[in-house]
Amino acid sequence: MIENLVEITSDQLLAEVQKCKYDGYRFVTTTSVDNGDDTIDIVYHFDIDYKMKNLKITVKKDEEVPSISKVYVSALLVENEIKELFGVNITGIIVDYGGHMLLSEEELGSPMLRQQITIEKRGGNS
Amino acid sequence: MSSTIVPFGPQHPVLPEPLHIKLVMEDEKIVDAIPAIGYVHRGLEKLTETKEFTQNTFVVERVCGICSVMHAMAYCQGIEELMNIEISDRAKFLRVIWAELHRMHSHFLWLGLLADAFGFESLFMQTWRDREKVMDIMEETAGSRVVISCNTIGGTRRDLTKEQMAKIITTVDEIKHDLEQVEAVFLNNYTVKHRLVGVGVLTKADAIEYCTVGPMARASGIAMDMRTTGYSAYGQLDFEPITHNDGDCYARTYVRLKEIYQSIDLIKQAIAKIPEGEHVVPFKGFPPKGDVISRVEQPRGEVLYYLRGNGTKNLDRLRLRTPTFANIPSLLKMLPGSQLADVPMLILTIDPCISCTER
Repeated sequence: MIENLVEITSDQLLAEVQKCKYDGYRFVTTTSVDNGDDTIDIVYHFDIDYKMKNLKITVKKDEEVPSISKVYVSALLVENEIKELFGVNITGIIVDYGGHMLLSEEELGSPMLRQQITIEKRGGNS
Repeated sequence: MSSTIVPFGPQHPVLPEPLHIKLVMEDEKIVDAIPAIGYVHRGLEKLTETKEFTQNTFVVERVCGICSVMHAMAYCQGIEELMNIEISDRAKFLRVIWAELHRMHSHFLWLGLLADAFGFESLFMQTWRDREKVMDIMEETAGSRVVISCNTIGGTRRDLTKEQMAKIITTVDEIKHDLEQVEAVFLNNYTVKHRLVGVGVLTKADAIEYCTVGPMARASGIAMDMRTTGYSAYGQLDFEPITHNDGDCYARTYVRLKEIYQSIDLIKQAIAKIPEGEHVVPFKGFPPKGDVISRVEQPRGEVLYYLRGNGTKNLDRLRLRTPTFANIPSLLKMLPGSQLADVPMLILTIDPCISCTER
Protein backbone atom coordinates (compact mmCIF):
# COMPACT_ATOMS: atom_id res chain seq x y z
CA MET A 1 0.00 0.00 0.00
CA ILE A 2 2.59 2.61 1.04
CA GLU A 3 5.86 2.05 -0.71
CA ASN A 4 9.17 2.28 1.12
CA LEU A 5 7.86 3.06 4.62
CA VAL A 6 10.58 3.16 7.29
CA GLU A 7 9.69 3.37 10.97
CA ILE A 8 12.19 5.37 13.01
CA THR A 9 12.33 7.16 16.36
CA SER A 10 12.19 10.94 16.76
CA ASP A 11 15.87 10.88 17.82
CA GLN A 12 16.83 9.44 14.44
CA LEU A 13 14.64 11.85 12.49
CA LEU A 14 17.08 14.64 11.68
CA ALA A 15 19.86 12.26 10.66
CA GLU A 16 17.50 10.31 8.38
CA VAL A 17 16.11 13.52 6.84
CA GLN A 18 19.67 14.79 6.23
CA LYS A 19 20.37 11.50 4.48
CA CYS A 20 17.29 11.94 2.26
CA LYS A 21 18.51 15.43 1.32
CA TYR A 22 21.98 14.10 0.58
CA ASP A 23 20.48 11.35 -1.60
CA GLY A 24 18.59 13.99 -3.65
CA TYR A 25 15.07 13.42 -2.37
CA ARG A 26 12.44 16.16 -2.72
CA PHE A 27 10.30 16.89 0.32
CA VAL A 28 6.64 16.28 -0.49
CA THR A 29 4.77 16.79 2.78
CA THR A 30 4.17 15.52 6.29
CA THR A 31 1.07 13.72 7.50
CA SER A 32 0.00 13.39 11.11
CA VAL A 33 -2.61 10.93 12.32
CA ASP A 34 -4.14 10.77 15.80
CA ASN A 35 -4.05 7.08 16.76
CA GLY A 36 -6.92 7.48 19.19
CA ASP A 37 -4.75 6.74 22.25
CA ASP A 38 -2.06 9.08 23.57
CA THR A 39 0.12 8.78 20.47
CA ILE A 40 0.33 10.47 17.07
CA ASP A 41 1.86 9.05 13.90
CA ILE A 42 3.88 11.55 11.87
CA VAL A 43 4.85 10.43 8.37
CA TYR A 44 7.39 12.43 6.34
CA HIS A 45 7.01 11.90 2.59
CA PHE A 46 9.95 12.31 0.17
CA ASP A 47 10.20 11.70 -3.56
CA ILE A 48 12.89 11.13 -6.12
CA ASP A 49 12.00 10.40 -9.76
CA TYR A 50 8.40 9.60 -8.72
CA LYS A 51 9.56 6.99 -6.18
CA MET A 52 8.54 7.78 -2.63
CA LYS A 53 10.31 7.27 0.65
CA ASN A 54 8.27 7.62 3.83
CA LEU A 55 9.71 8.05 7.32
CA LYS A 56 7.28 7.33 10.12
CA ILE A 57 7.66 8.30 13.76
CA THR A 58 5.17 7.62 16.53
CA VAL A 59 5.28 10.16 19.34
CA LYS A 60 3.43 10.84 22.58
CA LYS A 61 1.14 13.86 22.41
CA ASP A 62 3.34 16.00 24.66
CA GLU A 63 6.66 14.79 23.23
CA GLU A 64 9.09 17.20 21.56
CA VAL A 65 9.73 16.64 17.86
CA PRO A 66 12.62 18.42 16.12
CA SER A 67 11.74 20.53 13.09
CA ILE A 68 13.14 19.45 9.73
CA SER A 69 12.71 22.96 8.28
CA LYS A 70 16.41 23.67 8.73
CA VAL A 71 17.09 20.85 6.26
CA TYR A 72 14.08 21.33 3.97
CA VAL A 73 12.88 24.95 4.10
CA SER A 74 9.58 24.03 2.45
CA ALA A 75 8.60 22.01 5.54
CA LEU A 76 7.93 25.19 7.53
CA LEU A 77 4.27 25.60 6.58
CA VAL A 78 3.25 22.00 7.16
CA GLU A 79 5.09 21.90 10.48
CA ASN A 80 3.24 25.01 11.64
CA GLU A 81 0.00 23.39 10.50
CA ILE A 82 0.65 20.18 12.48
CA LYS A 83 1.69 22.17 15.51
CA GLU A 84 -1.58 24.10 15.47
CA LEU A 85 -4.06 21.47 14.41
CA PHE A 86 -2.64 18.48 16.31
CA GLY A 87 -0.81 20.24 19.12
CA VAL A 88 2.44 18.40 18.38
CA ASN A 89 5.34 20.15 20.12
CA ILE A 90 7.58 20.75 17.08
CA THR A 91 10.63 22.73 18.12
CA GLY A 92 12.94 24.92 16.07
CA ILE A 93 10.73 25.73 13.04
CA ILE A 94 12.54 28.44 11.06
CA VAL A 95 9.42 30.63 10.92
CA ASP A 96 7.21 29.79 13.90
CA TYR A 97 3.78 31.43 13.80
CA GLY A 98 3.24 30.60 17.48
CA GLY A 99 0.02 28.67 16.87
CA HIS A 100 -1.67 31.35 14.75
CA MET A 101 -0.90 30.55 11.14
CA LEU A 102 -4.41 29.16 10.58
CA LEU A 103 -6.20 29.61 13.86
CA SER A 104 -7.28 32.79 15.57
CA GLU A 105 -7.01 33.55 19.28
CA GLU A 106 -10.57 32.37 19.98
CA GLU A 107 -10.19 28.91 18.40
CA LEU A 108 -10.22 25.70 20.38
CA GLY A 109 -6.73 24.27 20.85
CA SER A 110 -5.68 21.40 18.54
CA PRO A 111 -8.99 20.99 16.66
CA MET A 112 -7.85 18.00 14.59
CA LEU A 113 -7.28 15.78 17.63
CA ARG A 114 -9.98 13.29 18.48
CA GLN A 115 -11.37 15.04 21.48
CA GLN A 116 -14.40 14.08 23.43
CA ILE A 117 -16.50 17.22 23.70
CA THR A 118 -19.05 17.12 26.52
CA ILE A 119 -21.90 19.59 26.40
CA GLU A 120 -23.18 20.27 29.89
CA LYS A 121 -26.76 21.24 30.53
CA ARG A 122 -27.08 24.51 32.39
CA GLY A 123 -29.89 23.70 34.80
CA GLY A 124 -33.59 24.29 34.06
CA ASN A 125 -36.17 21.73 33.09
CA SER A 126 -35.13 19.24 30.46
CA MET B 1 18.15 52.79 5.03
CA SER B 2 15.07 52.34 7.19
CA SER B 3 12.55 49.78 6.02
CA THR B 4 8.80 50.13 5.56
CA ILE B 5 6.19 47.39 5.78
CA VAL B 6 3.63 47.43 2.96
CA PRO B 7 0.63 45.13 3.45
CA PHE B 8 -0.44 43.25 0.28
CA GLY B 9 -3.89 41.69 0.59
CA PRO B 10 -5.78 39.88 2.04
CA GLN B 11 -7.96 41.14 -0.81
CA HIS B 12 -6.35 42.63 -3.88
CA PRO B 13 -7.82 43.50 -7.28
CA VAL B 14 -5.64 41.03 -9.18
CA LEU B 15 -6.03 38.20 -6.70
CA PRO B 16 -9.58 37.63 -5.55
CA GLU B 17 -8.45 35.22 -2.86
CA PRO B 18 -7.51 36.06 0.72
CA LEU B 19 -3.73 35.91 0.92
CA HIS B 20 -2.01 38.54 3.00
CA ILE B 21 1.69 39.24 2.59
CA LYS B 22 3.64 41.75 4.62
CA LEU B 23 6.27 43.17 2.29
CA VAL B 24 9.30 44.64 4.04
CA MET B 25 10.49 47.38 1.68
CA GLU B 26 13.61 49.47 1.30
CA ASP B 27 12.66 52.21 -1.14
CA GLU B 28 10.90 50.34 -4.02
CA LYS B 29 12.74 47.08 -3.38
CA ILE B 30 11.38 44.17 -1.34
CA VAL B 31 13.83 42.82 1.23
CA ASP B 32 11.57 40.35 3.04
CA ALA B 33 8.08 38.89 2.82
CA ILE B 34 5.97 37.36 5.58
CA PRO B 35 2.78 35.50 4.54
CA ALA B 36 -0.37 35.28 6.63
CA ILE B 37 -2.89 32.60 5.73
CA GLY B 38 -5.91 31.16 7.51
CA TYR B 39 -8.71 33.43 6.28
CA VAL B 40 -10.69 30.63 4.63
CA HIS B 41 -9.69 27.59 6.68
CA ARG B 42 -12.75 25.34 6.58
CA GLY B 43 -11.60 22.18 8.36
CA LEU B 44 -12.55 19.94 5.43
CA GLU B 45 -10.01 17.27 6.46
CA LYS B 46 -11.77 16.98 9.81
CA LEU B 47 -15.16 16.90 8.09
CA THR B 48 -14.14 13.82 6.09
CA GLU B 49 -13.76 11.86 9.34
CA THR B 50 -17.46 12.34 10.07
CA LYS B 51 -18.70 11.41 6.58
CA GLU B 52 -18.81 7.94 5.05
CA PHE B 53 -16.00 7.13 2.63
CA THR B 54 -18.43 7.13 -0.31
CA GLN B 55 -19.66 10.63 0.61
CA ASN B 56 -16.12 11.99 0.85
CA THR B 57 -15.83 12.09 -2.96
CA PHE B 58 -18.19 15.07 -2.86
CA VAL B 59 -16.41 16.69 0.07
CA VAL B 60 -12.97 16.65 -1.58
CA GLU B 61 -14.44 18.09 -4.79
CA ARG B 62 -15.37 21.13 -2.78
CA VAL B 63 -11.80 21.78 -1.63
CA CYS B 64 -11.41 23.72 -4.87
CA GLY B 65 -13.77 24.08 -7.81
CA ILE B 66 -11.08 24.63 -10.43
CA CYS B 67 -9.42 21.25 -9.86
CA SER B 68 -12.43 19.37 -8.45
CA VAL B 69 -12.17 16.52 -10.98
CA MET B 70 -8.56 15.82 -10.00
CA HIS B 71 -9.35 15.92 -6.26
CA ALA B 72 -12.09 13.32 -6.69
CA MET B 73 -9.87 11.32 -9.04
CA ALA B 74 -7.01 11.14 -6.52
CA TYR B 75 -9.38 10.22 -3.69
CA CYS B 76 -11.18 7.53 -5.71
CA GLN B 77 -7.88 6.04 -6.89
CA GLY B 78 -6.73 5.78 -3.27
CA ILE B 79 -9.93 4.06 -2.10
CA GLU B 80 -9.88 1.75 -5.13
CA GLU B 81 -6.34 0.70 -4.25
CA LEU B 82 -7.32 0.08 -0.61
CA MET B 83 -10.33 -2.02 -1.63
CA ASN B 84 -8.67 -3.76 -4.61
CA ILE B 85 -11.20 -2.43 -7.10
CA GLU B 86 -10.13 -2.65 -10.73
CA ILE B 87 -11.99 -0.05 -12.78
CA SER B 88 -12.79 -0.52 -16.45
CA ASP B 89 -10.54 0.83 -19.21
CA ARG B 90 -13.39 2.99 -20.46
CA ALA B 91 -13.68 4.69 -17.07
CA LYS B 92 -9.94 5.41 -17.09
CA PHE B 93 -10.20 7.19 -20.43
CA LEU B 94 -13.33 9.07 -19.35
CA ARG B 95 -11.49 10.30 -16.27
CA VAL B 96 -8.63 11.54 -18.47
CA ILE B 97 -11.01 13.40 -20.81
CA TRP B 98 -12.76 15.26 -17.97
CA ALA B 99 -9.49 15.88 -16.14
CA GLU B 100 -7.88 17.47 -19.20
CA LEU B 101 -10.98 19.59 -19.85
CA HIS B 102 -10.60 20.81 -16.28
CA ARG B 103 -6.91 21.56 -16.82
CA MET B 104 -7.84 23.58 -19.92
CA HIS B 105 -10.41 25.73 -18.12
CA SER B 106 -8.05 26.25 -15.19
CA HIS B 107 -5.22 27.44 -17.46
CA PHE B 108 -7.60 29.67 -19.45
CA LEU B 109 -8.82 31.20 -16.21
CA TRP B 110 -5.24 31.86 -15.18
CA LEU B 111 -4.24 33.35 -18.55
CA GLY B 112 -7.25 35.69 -18.32
CA LEU B 113 -6.30 36.80 -14.82
CA LEU B 114 -2.73 37.39 -16.00
CA ALA B 115 -3.95 39.55 -18.91
CA ASP B 116 -6.16 41.46 -16.46
CA ALA B 117 -3.20 41.94 -14.10
CA PHE B 118 -1.06 43.62 -16.73
CA GLY B 119 -4.05 45.67 -17.87
CA PHE B 120 -4.88 44.01 -21.21
CA GLU B 121 -8.68 43.87 -20.96
CA SER B 122 -9.48 42.62 -24.46
CA LEU B 123 -6.96 39.77 -24.12
CA PHE B 124 -8.58 38.84 -20.80
CA MET B 125 -12.01 38.71 -22.46
CA GLN B 126 -10.80 36.68 -25.44
CA THR B 127 -9.21 34.12 -23.12
CA TRP B 128 -12.28 33.77 -20.95
CA ARG B 129 -14.50 33.49 -24.04
CA ASP B 130 -12.64 30.29 -24.89
CA ARG B 131 -12.91 29.13 -21.30
CA GLU B 132 -16.69 29.41 -21.65
CA LYS B 133 -16.58 26.86 -24.47
CA VAL B 134 -14.91 24.36 -22.14
CA MET B 135 -17.46 25.10 -19.42
CA ASP B 136 -20.27 24.53 -21.92
CA ILE B 137 -18.85 21.08 -22.74
CA MET B 138 -18.82 20.23 -19.05
CA GLU B 139 -22.39 21.43 -18.61
CA GLU B 140 -23.56 19.35 -21.56
CA THR B 141 -21.70 16.21 -20.54
CA ALA B 142 -21.89 16.31 -16.76
CA GLY B 143 -24.73 18.65 -15.88
CA SER B 144 -22.80 21.43 -14.21
CA ARG B 145 -20.04 23.82 -15.14
CA VAL B 146 -17.42 23.70 -12.37
CA VAL B 147 -17.94 21.02 -9.73
CA ILE B 148 -19.01 18.31 -12.15
CA SER B 149 -18.93 15.24 -9.87
CA CYS B 150 -18.02 12.85 -12.66
CA ASN B 151 -15.80 10.55 -10.59
CA THR B 152 -17.05 7.88 -8.25
CA ILE B 153 -15.47 4.92 -6.53
CA GLY B 154 -15.39 2.20 -9.20
CA GLY B 155 -15.32 4.46 -12.26
CA THR B 156 -17.29 7.48 -13.44
CA ARG B 157 -20.87 8.53 -12.70
CA ARG B 158 -21.63 9.31 -16.35
CA ASP B 159 -20.62 8.06 -19.78
CA LEU B 160 -19.97 9.97 -23.00
CA THR B 161 -21.93 9.20 -26.14
CA LYS B 162 -20.31 9.15 -29.59
CA GLU B 163 -22.10 12.39 -30.47
CA GLN B 164 -20.80 14.08 -27.34
CA MET B 165 -17.26 12.95 -28.11
CA ALA B 166 -17.55 14.23 -31.68
CA LYS B 167 -18.75 17.57 -30.34
CA ILE B 168 -15.86 17.71 -27.86
CA ILE B 169 -13.39 17.22 -30.73
CA THR B 170 -15.03 19.97 -32.80
CA THR B 171 -15.01 22.36 -29.83
CA VAL B 172 -11.39 21.72 -28.81
CA ASP B 173 -10.35 22.25 -32.44
CA GLU B 174 -12.15 25.61 -32.38
CA ILE B 175 -10.46 26.47 -29.11
CA LYS B 176 -7.07 25.52 -30.57
CA HIS B 177 -7.67 27.86 -33.50
CA ASP B 178 -8.65 30.71 -31.12
CA LEU B 179 -5.68 30.04 -28.87
CA GLU B 180 -3.27 30.32 -31.78
CA GLN B 181 -4.55 33.88 -32.27
CA VAL B 182 -3.97 34.97 -28.67
CA GLU B 183 -0.75 32.98 -28.22
CA ALA B 184 1.19 35.51 -30.28
CA VAL B 185 0.09 38.29 -27.93
CA PHE B 186 1.03 36.42 -24.76
CA LEU B 187 4.40 35.29 -26.07
CA ASN B 188 5.55 37.95 -28.56
CA ASN B 189 3.90 41.28 -27.72
CA TYR B 190 6.54 43.85 -26.69
CA THR B 191 4.55 45.34 -23.78
CA VAL B 192 3.50 41.97 -22.43
CA LYS B 193 7.06 40.65 -22.61
CA HIS B 194 8.25 43.77 -20.83
CA ARG B 195 6.05 42.84 -17.85
CA LEU B 196 7.02 39.15 -17.82
CA VAL B 197 10.57 38.54 -19.04
CA GLY B 198 13.18 38.45 -16.29
CA VAL B 199 10.59 39.07 -13.54
CA GLY B 200 10.48 36.74 -10.54
CA VAL B 201 13.23 34.38 -11.57
CA LEU B 202 13.27 31.01 -9.80
CA THR B 203 16.40 29.13 -10.81
CA LYS B 204 16.40 25.38 -11.28
CA ALA B 205 18.58 24.97 -8.17
CA ASP B 206 16.14 27.05 -6.08
CA ALA B 207 13.15 25.18 -7.49
CA ILE B 208 14.73 21.91 -6.34
CA GLU B 209 15.76 23.38 -2.96
CA TYR B 210 12.26 24.74 -2.28
CA CYS B 211 10.53 21.55 -3.51
CA THR B 212 8.49 23.39 -6.17
CA VAL B 213 5.86 21.44 -8.09
CA GLY B 214 3.75 21.70 -11.23
CA PRO B 215 4.05 24.25 -14.06
CA MET B 216 6.17 26.41 -11.77
CA ALA B 217 8.81 23.67 -11.47
CA ARG B 218 8.56 22.86 -15.18
CA ALA B 219 9.12 26.56 -16.00
CA SER B 220 12.39 26.30 -14.06
CA GLY B 221 13.57 23.38 -16.16
CA ILE B 222 12.41 20.44 -14.00
CA ALA B 223 10.61 17.89 -16.18
CA MET B 224 8.35 16.61 -13.41
CA ASP B 225 4.76 15.68 -14.19
CA MET B 226 2.80 13.07 -12.22
CA ARG B 227 0.89 12.12 -15.37
CA THR B 228 4.04 10.46 -16.70
CA THR B 229 3.70 7.85 -13.92
CA GLY B 230 0.84 6.49 -16.05
CA TYR B 231 -2.06 6.60 -13.58
CA SER B 232 -5.57 6.24 -14.99
CA ALA B 233 -5.18 6.03 -18.82
CA TYR B 234 -2.18 8.38 -19.09
CA GLY B 235 0.13 5.37 -19.51
CA GLN B 236 -1.60 4.63 -22.84
CA LEU B 237 -1.24 8.17 -24.20
CA ASP B 238 1.74 9.80 -25.83
CA PHE B 239 3.03 13.05 -24.29
CA GLU B 240 6.09 14.70 -22.74
CA PRO B 241 6.16 17.28 -19.90
CA ILE B 242 6.40 20.85 -21.23
CA THR B 243 9.38 22.70 -19.80
CA HIS B 244 11.15 26.04 -20.10
CA ASN B 245 14.54 26.92 -18.67
CA ASP B 246 14.27 30.62 -17.77
CA GLY B 247 12.22 30.27 -14.54
CA ASP B 248 10.68 33.76 -14.87
CA CYS B 249 7.06 34.91 -15.24
CA TYR B 250 7.35 34.56 -19.02
CA ALA B 251 8.47 30.93 -18.70
CA ARG B 252 5.53 30.13 -16.41
CA THR B 253 3.13 31.73 -18.92
CA TYR B 254 4.75 29.74 -21.75
CA VAL B 255 4.39 26.42 -19.90
CA ARG B 256 0.72 26.93 -19.01
CA LEU B 257 -0.15 28.16 -22.50
CA LYS B 258 1.52 25.18 -24.17
CA GLU B 259 -0.16 22.83 -21.69
CA ILE B 260 -3.54 23.84 -23.12
CA TYR B 261 -2.39 22.52 -26.52
CA GLN B 262 -1.14 19.40 -24.73
CA SER B 263 -4.54 18.91 -23.05
CA ILE B 264 -6.30 19.27 -26.42
CA ASP B 265 -3.98 16.64 -27.85
CA LEU B 266 -4.54 14.30 -24.88
CA ILE B 267 -8.33 14.66 -25.14
CA LYS B 268 -8.20 13.81 -28.85
CA GLN B 269 -5.90 10.85 -28.22
CA ALA B 270 -8.17 9.59 -25.42
CA ILE B 271 -11.29 9.88 -27.59
CA ALA B 272 -9.52 8.03 -30.41
CA LYS B 273 -8.46 5.19 -28.12
CA ILE B 274 -11.42 4.87 -25.73
CA PRO B 275 -12.69 1.28 -25.66
CA GLU B 276 -16.28 0.12 -25.32
CA GLY B 277 -17.48 -1.19 -21.98
CA GLU B 278 -18.99 -0.25 -18.67
CA HIS B 279 -18.11 3.12 -17.18
CA VAL B 280 -18.57 2.01 -13.57
CA VAL B 281 -18.20 -1.26 -11.72
CA PRO B 282 -20.24 -1.91 -8.59
CA PHE B 283 -18.00 -2.55 -5.62
CA LYS B 284 -18.65 -4.78 -2.68
CA GLY B 285 -16.75 -6.13 0.26
CA PHE B 286 -15.52 -4.66 3.48
CA PRO B 287 -14.91 -0.93 3.84
CA PRO B 288 -11.31 0.23 3.26
CA LYS B 289 -8.66 -0.76 5.78
CA GLY B 290 -5.01 0.26 5.76
CA ASP B 291 -2.91 3.20 4.59
CA VAL B 292 -2.47 4.40 1.02
CA ILE B 293 -0.93 7.36 -0.84
CA SER B 294 -2.45 8.57 -4.10
CA ARG B 295 -0.86 11.28 -6.25
CA VAL B 296 -2.28 13.09 -9.27
CA GLU B 297 -1.15 16.04 -11.43
CA GLN B 298 -3.53 18.97 -11.00
CA PRO B 299 -3.38 22.14 -13.18
CA ARG B 300 -1.19 23.70 -10.48
CA GLY B 301 0.94 20.63 -9.81
CA GLU B 302 1.11 17.45 -7.81
CA VAL B 303 -1.59 16.75 -5.21
CA LEU B 304 -1.07 14.05 -2.58
CA TYR B 305 -3.79 12.14 -0.74
CA TYR B 306 -2.94 10.05 2.30
CA LEU B 307 -5.83 7.84 3.38
CA ARG B 308 -6.09 5.63 6.44
CA GLY B 309 -9.07 3.34 6.65
CA ASN B 310 -10.01 1.36 9.75
CA GLY B 311 -12.42 -1.15 8.23
CA THR B 312 -15.51 0.93 9.05
CA LYS B 313 -17.46 3.30 6.82
CA ASN B 314 -15.51 6.28 8.23
CA LEU B 315 -11.88 6.94 7.46
CA ASP B 316 -9.44 7.48 10.32
CA ARG B 317 -7.62 10.15 8.35
CA LEU B 318 -7.77 11.90 5.02
CA ARG B 319 -4.83 14.20 4.46
CA LEU B 320 -4.33 16.18 1.30
CA ARG B 321 -1.42 18.34 0.27
CA THR B 322 -2.23 20.69 -2.56
CA PRO B 323 0.22 22.23 -5.04
CA THR B 324 -0.14 25.83 -3.86
CA PHE B 325 0.78 24.73 -0.33
CA ALA B 326 4.01 23.32 -1.78
CA ASN B 327 4.71 26.43 -3.88
CA ILE B 328 4.32 29.17 -1.25
CA PRO B 329 7.91 28.73 0.07
CA SER B 330 9.19 29.29 -3.50
CA LEU B 331 7.12 32.50 -3.68
CA LEU B 332 8.78 33.67 -0.46
CA LYS B 333 12.14 32.96 -2.07
CA MET B 334 11.26 34.97 -5.21
CA LEU B 335 9.81 38.08 -3.54
CA PRO B 336 12.94 39.50 -1.85
CA GLY B 337 14.92 41.49 -4.41
CA SER B 338 11.90 42.25 -6.59
CA GLN B 339 10.26 45.61 -7.22
CA LEU B 340 6.92 46.45 -5.60
CA ALA B 341 5.28 46.90 -9.03
CA ASP B 342 6.11 43.29 -9.92
CA VAL B 343 4.44 41.75 -6.86
CA PRO B 344 1.03 41.17 -8.53
CA MET B 345 2.75 39.41 -11.47
CA LEU B 346 4.88 37.33 -9.12
CA ILE B 347 2.03 36.17 -6.94
CA LEU B 348 -0.20 35.50 -9.91
CA THR B 349 2.32 33.41 -11.81
CA ILE B 350 2.48 30.78 -9.07
CA ASP B 351 -1.28 30.41 -9.80
CA PRO B 352 -2.22 30.52 -6.12
CA CYS B 353 -5.32 28.75 -4.91
CA ILE B 354 -5.88 29.75 -1.33
CA SER B 355 -8.97 27.61 -0.78
CA CYS B 356 -6.76 24.60 -1.69
CA THR B 357 -3.99 25.80 0.62
CA GLU B 358 -6.22 26.11 3.65
CA ARG B 359 -8.88 23.46 2.97
